[in-house]
Amino acid sequence: MSLAVKQEGRGGWDRGMDDVQPVYLYDGTLEGMLTAVFEAFRRKEEPLNIVEERCLQQSLLCSYIPILTDVAKAERVRNGVTTTLGERVYENLKQVFLSDDERKGGVIVRYLLYTMRKGKRACSHLANPAVDSFEDVLGQVAKEAHYMLQFVRFAQLQNGVYFSRIEPRASVVPLIMGHFATRFNIQPFMIYDARHGLSGVFDTERWWLVDARDIQEPSQTLAEDGFQALWQTFYDTIAIEERRNPTCQRNFMPKRFWGNLCEQVPPQLRNIRPKTTTPTVAARLGAPSNAAPTETTNLLPAP
Amino acid sequence: MELLDKLTILADAAKYDVACTSCGVNRQAVKGQLGSATSAGICHTFSADGRCVTLLKVLLSNVCSYDCAYCVNRRSNDIPRATFSARELAELTIGFYRRNYIEGLFLSSGILKNPDYTTERMCEAIHILREDYGFRGYIHAKAIPGTSEELLVRLGVLVDRMSLNIEFPSEKSLKLLAPEKAGESALRPMAFVRDGIKANYQDKRLSTVRRTRFVPAGQSTQMIVGASPESDYHILKLSASLYQRLELQRVFFSAYIPINSNPLLPATSEVSLLREHRLYQADWLMRFYEFDVDEIIDEEHPFLDPLIDPKCNWALNHIDQFPVEVNRVPYEMLLRIPGIGVRGAKRVVCARRERSLRFEDLKRLNITLKRAKYFITCNGKFADGVLFDPLSIYRELTRQAKGRRFKGVLDGQLSLFDEKSEPAPTSAFSLPASVLSSPTSVLPAALASASAKPAAQPATLPPAQTPILARRAS
Ligand code: SF4
Repeated sequence: MSLAVKQEGRGGWDRGMDDVQPVYLYDGTLEGMLTAVFEAFRRKEEPLNIVEERCLQQSLLCSYIPILTDVAKAERVRNGVTTTLGERVYENLKQVFLSDDERKGGVIVRYLLYTMRKGKRACSHLANPAVDSFEDVLGQVAKEAHYMLQFVRFAQLQNGVYFSRIEPRASVVPLIMGHFATRFNIQPFMIYDARHGLSGVFDTERWWLVDARDIQEPSQTLAEDGFQALWQTFYDTIAIEERRNPTCQRNFMPKRFWGNLCEQVPPQLRNIRPKTTTPTVAARLGAPSNAAPTETTNLLPAP
Repeated sequence: MELLDKLTILADAAKYDVACTSCGVNRQAVKGQLGSATSAGICHTFSADGRCVTLLKVLLSNVCSYDCAYCVNRRSNDIPRATFSARELAELTIGFYRRNYIEGLFLSSGILKNPDYTTERMCEAIHILREDYGFRGYIHAKAIPGTSEELLVRLGVLVDRMSLNIEFPSEKSLKLLAPEKAGESALRPMAFVRDGIKANYQDKRLSTVRRTRFVPAGQSTQMIVGASPESDYHILKLSASLYQRLELQRVFFSAYIPINSNPLLPATSEVSLLREHRLYQADWLMRFYEFDVDEIIDEEHPFLDPLIDPKCNWALNHIDQFPVEVNRVPYEMLLRIPGIGVRGAKRVVCARRERSLRFEDLKRLNITLKRAKYFITCNGKFADGVLFDPLSIYRELTRQAKGRRFKGVLDGQLSLFDEKSEPAPTSAFSLPASVLSSPTSVLPAALASASAKPAAQPATLPPAQTPILARRAS
């Protein structure tokens, strides 16, 4: 290729087309990502990014190298990371992998290229761009996971299972299941991540993940409406009018979560039934059999 | 009465209590029981006023036999009254908790018959929650002033946090506005609770068994700001000694908000809100930034500057200690740079081990330079466009503040300021005293004049002028 155009001051790009940084393609699994990292080390090159094959939008300016997932290679990377940098860094790496950020592959590989060469202490070189961007993505994922601890809302289904729908910007279900499974260890529940098509299921003994790309979402029961009405009432009542501060509210609780928060359903859309028929809490909390209304619901895949 | 209506009444009556946090205790989940607590706490939603909602905050009852002037539940007010039964309350809490709406319960109450009787009812409700429902979530209970020590012990082992509100920064104001509570100073029971908490640690056997641990998340208190004439100096001195002597976890400030059909002073709550905001900033400096109260405020300038935050104010008053070189200054001094927080300071210390930092690097460390840039150098150089001159820094910082949250208030303050005097360069940094010299102006006139009279003339205001304040109970 003799068309190489010299561009100055653009990092990898000023090397001309012949030695342009390649983009690795992987299959979307953690093993695939680690295999790609292995290849980068073996070839002694720094890929521009590592992207999932099916999300790819080809560009003529890049050269693409498909990476075939190899569990043995992935395992070697894992071992290398845990022995050189420690278990903790490997956990962080897995967490960065859960991010929706499309640059995450590049972020991971640059981080490892830098830290594996310099050793464990390099992990605290926060002013280094490779370390900084890794920490950045890591922080974003942690933040998203924390949002979910705050904003998951369960609704009890007719079969007794507590169901929650979320749409986080990182695939954080595996990070939050532990928290809920211990706290709510007496109730079966399911957290459905509609954005990533993934569900975490807990059956009061253990939890696991299921592919939920074509799940039929359950509809709500009447009894649950009663509880949500109580919660909405409480939520509306607790605000102090003189201190109204929507900016502050949205800083802490971004609007993108509101769709899955029952207290944010506008009053006109709420299903508050006439007061005389509001069942007492006691009735609703009793055994599912006497609280269960008769209408049908789409049930979950049995946990 | 329907549960929904009860909840409305009893949540409304509790909403002015500001102490809604669920932190301070780590309680692992146990197989077969509902709930756990994490020491950092979790906010589950944010109400329209931007405050975090983490606990089901309600009164057990808003029936009250006292008649505190500032409280909506006072017996002389004609308002709907309600009382939860212990079971209703427990079931409501459990129902909300299971849906991940809340971290637990915040329970206060009006005074039913007498303090001991009320506390017994509260203990009963919490006992059902803990024992019958095996609830391991967070519980914060308000201790009713005048409760016997025996009952405090009973309550203390059921809850995580206990709070006793001192309500007003001085005994005098308390006497005036809550005559029945006066004399029962909150300080004595607070000391009692402190000693109980200390005993947790002395007795190793106790500290591992949840049920016998006494108030594991510590105690807190709150006081109303802007309803009585005490200065910021007075308030901060008081809270410093509460932290030191009574070992409180938190002191909360609550801006006085009059709810009156015909408000005498429209801007009242806004001024109080700004003041509350500054007090919290000062409080943070004491708790997390190793500032001593006397560094933040002194008797000659007894009010915090409404225009700049207390840290900037300190820095400007100690401008001889600046600028500091980011690459060399010790951690303690990093913490004192306006605009640099605890996290930022730690990141700087960590990052500068590798290389000497430039301004770009600071940005990469997520340090906002908006305020910090006036007080630091990187490798001996100031950031572009920074003029290291106290007066121009002050102007810049106040200009920033004006664009922000309390815009309306500040504009009002500024125009007042402009009319009165020219900002004298040397005294500019301690200007709060001149600007906000009369906090009593935030009081409805009637109340202000009442409080000015030292004579024991407990709030005998004509009913029409009595501010009907929605204030939390007890
Ligand atoms: S502050 Fe407490 S004691 Fe005083 S009137 Fe209100 S509820 Fe009753």
